[in-house]
Amino acid sequence: MQAFISAQGLVKHYGNTLALDNVSFEVYQNEILGFIGPDGAGKSTLFEILTTLLIPDAGEASINGMDIHKDYGKIRASIGFMPGKFSLYQDLTVQENLSFFANIFGSSIEENYHLIKGIYELLKPFANRKAGALSGGMKQKLALCCALIHKPLALFLDEPTTGVDAVSRTEFWDNLMQIRDSGIPIVVSTPYMDEATRCDRVAMIHNGRIMKLDTPDNIIKGYDGKLLSITCKDRQKPKALLQNEAAITSLYSFGDALHISLNNTDASTLKLISSKLEQGMDSPYQIKEVFPIFEDCFLQLMGQMKK
Amino acid sequence: MSDVIIQASNLSRRFGNFVAVDNITFEVRSGEIFGFLGANGAGKTTAMRILCGLLAPSSGSATVCGYDVATQSEQVKLNIGYMSQRFSLFDDLSVWDNISFYAGIYKMSRAQIKDAGNTMLDKLELSKYKNRLVGSLPLGWKQKLAFAIAIIHKPQLVFLDEPTGGVDPITRRAFWDMLYAAAIEGITIFVTTHYLDEAEYCDRISIMVNGKIGALGTPLELKEQFKVLSIYDVILALARGEEA
Amino acid sequence: MKNLSIFVRKEFLHIVRDPKSLMIMVLLPLVEIMLIGFVLRFEIANTNLAVVDMAKQQQSTKLIHRLEGGDRFKVRLTQSMPEAEELLTEGKVKAILYISEDFDRKAVENSESSLQLLLDATDPNIATTIEAYVKATLADFWVDSIGGSPVPMLITEQMFYYNPLLKSVYATVPGLISVVLMLICALMTSISLTREKESGTLKVLLISPLKPLQIIIGKLAPYLLVSLLITGIILALSFGVFGVPMAGSLIMLIMVSFVYCLCALALGFLISTKAKTQQVAMMMSLAGLMLPTTLLSGMIYPIKNMPLWLQGITYIMPARWFVSILKHIMLKASPFSAYAGELVVLLIMTGIFTLLSLKNFTTRFR
Repeated sequence: MQAFISAQGLVKHYGNTLALDNVSFEVYQNEILGFIGPDGAGKSTLFEILTTLLIPDAGEASINGMDIHKDYGKIRASIGFMPGKFSLYQDLTVQENLSFFANIFGSSIEENYHLIKGIYELLKPFANRKAGALSGGMKQKLALCCALIHKPLALFLDEPTTGVDAVSRTEFWDNLMQIRDSGIPIVVSTPYMDEATRCDRVAMIHNGRIMKLDTPDNIIKGYDGKLLSITCKDRQKPKALLQNEAAITSLYSFGDALHISLNNTDASTLKLISSKLEQGMDSPYQIKEVFPIFEDCFLQLMGQMKK
Repeated sequence: MSDVIIQASNLSRRFGNFVAVDNITFEVRSGEIFGFLGANGAGKTTAMRILCGLLAPSSGSATVCGYDVATQSEQVKLNIGYMSQRFSLFDDLSVWDNISFYAGIYKMSRAQIKDAGNTMLDKLELSKYKNRLVGSLPLGWKQKLAFAIAIIHKPQLVFLDEPTGGVDPITRRAFWDMLYAAAIEGITIFVTTHYLDEAEYCDRISIMVNGKIGALGTPLELKEQFKVLSIYDVILALARGEEA
Repeated sequence: MKNLSIFVRKEFLHIVRDPKSLMIMVLLPLVEIMLIGFVLRFEIANTNLAVVDMAKQQQSTKLIHRLEGGDRFKVRLTQSMPEAEELLTEGKVKAILYISEDFDRKAVENSESSLQLLLDATDPNIATTIEAYVKATLADFWVDSIGGSPVPMLITEQMFYYNPLLKSVYATVPGLISVVLMLICALMTSISLTREKESGTLKVLLISPLKPLQIIIGKLAPYLLVSLLITGIILALSFGVFGVPMAGSLIMLIMVSFVYCLCALALGFLISTKAKTQQVAMMMSLAGLMLPTTLLSGMIYPIKNMPLWLQGITYIMPARWFVSILKHIMLKASPFSAYAGELVVLLIMTGIFTLLSLKNFTTRFR
């Protein structure tokens, strides 16, 4: 299958800081590719290069055969972009924002209403409210509608869910799935690890490098070693007890549990750990093997990268 | 009653016809990590501003550290620490200038500032970077520095408004370790967050829905109460209940 | 073209949605012209003038009557110079006119006259004005009473020729127009362009079929219209309230204002390509444009009185050329050829600023 978007060896420096370090990837039609990583990982730089706002120091990229250097005018006229902050006109109403962004692309709300229908229905009661007076989740939906209303060839969404509450985030991802199913490929970035599972493929990005790019399933399957989860009342206790155990490669809090990573789970290692806990714990606890979640994988890769 | 540090009673705040905070009553106990959750626009920020003494309540009352937020807001402000989403550090000042500026605001003497400041930098392992401009520090360091500065005057209580937005998972955990250490020293932590795994790290959490407190308890209690497996599902159940 | 109209419509919505800024844009020129018109006036009425008439003859008496007529002077006749000087020291009079014994004879002979004017120069502005008044009165007197051409000493300065009543409003209105237009065109556009930058909407606009030039014209055009409207308000006020004459062609005036507005818009645009935030844009516009325009356009301080290096700087101020053209049109009704040179300078400046800002307007960043 022919890639819809492809990037080869993208490099970008800001002064002495390396913001993007030899980044290559491909995006196919009908897929959502997510870039997951913390602030400062290079996500926004990458998005600005793909949308032709920023010129890379080295590397090539193309969207539907259009080169980011030669055909940047064509690319700009045909993609949809939602930059980091929801870039709306706060002093214009919901309706005015939407029709402005439709009109500058020579389109109209009516023409492509079917694309945004699912999202816009929720916004409709507020059509005459100023964008500045909307809640975060509503602003985010409006910004998505604005990026979508001209029927773009591809959507580029830079951290569309940052600072938005958990429920709105879930709804937003449901919307993205619908858009993808209508045939528009989506490149999206997020600092929230839990959103990785909603993407078709995920690129984990840190310090300007793609640490891993694969489907969420494969990334989780690729987790190196086994994972035990300990739940108890005082989370700090098992942490202190097991801190210096040689068999344990890492030890991180996860919600109400403590995740410990082991290279192997043979009987002797398990016994060692349980005896340690048995001696040290003064309140009841539970220990069980669990499947890693995405954040476990990210932590592991970050650890490997440091070495 | 000495172990109650925040006591809100029938607290309300209206903006015109809009009720941002709707008759909420709750208490925060001394020394606990209290998670303050809720969707955007649910009234979290307004409630927090009232408790910090920045905004007068329309009705009801609240005491923070034993002072009334409406009539003794100056004493309230002296006894609390505050750290915002954007860290409120001055990027164009050095690490030390930031420390001495904020410590100075809380009326600490020169000797006290020197003492507390150096101890703090040793703990953070930032002593070498005393004269570096804050703007040149990595995000994770800035975040730790901002928190240490927010508690430099040894407040009884510290308010943290989404302190971990955007930082990587390792730094985020290191930050929570700092919060635990502060809690063990006896500082009460009042924190808002959008990361739901962080909600589980709190001793007790409250979830605001449309200006009211929709649920309050330990993470375990809430999950049992709503018969679900995660805090996310608790929030979802609350949101659905509101729509219905 | 359709894209452009969409854009202009949006920009007008911004202007209308922000009534405070709109009020400032409209009220500012009104307040400023009122202040300058009523407060900052250099003409003086009822100046106390001591006259020492040693001649006491027909012509000298006529001259004194002449000075007393009108509301410019209050004449106090004194018997001797010492007496008059005492009044001057005490501040009871602002000037002394000494008429010597041979005034009549010399006047008839039409030879050099024997008048002496002593001025209290503690306030040089007032002193110069009084001097000018006396000279003007003498000139009239000479023509009417003696019938000859004025003797060399009494040549009146050309500057007062077009403003015979020495109304300072006449001189300040053109300056005022230049300041207000600079404020609205440059300040407002630089702020509105940096606002798009700050909010991130500029990125969205760049990633669209809009051409950079369309974005720029779309942003600037509404402010051009607002500026022309405000020029109209200022002119109406100047004619209506202060009776400033409109000697030349109104159409020419509007066309020249249009060119000046373009120049100011280009400057505002140039500022916005350099400024990252609205605050910086505002500071740059106020400190870099407003202040120099007010001080160096010749509106308040005559350019001739400035040190040479400062006079040099006035040559790069668009306002200097604009004010000069306005004076030609409004006060003198000069033919086009008289100010064609200034207009060319203004056009060249506009072209340079536009090219510079287009060069600095990055649509792809490095």
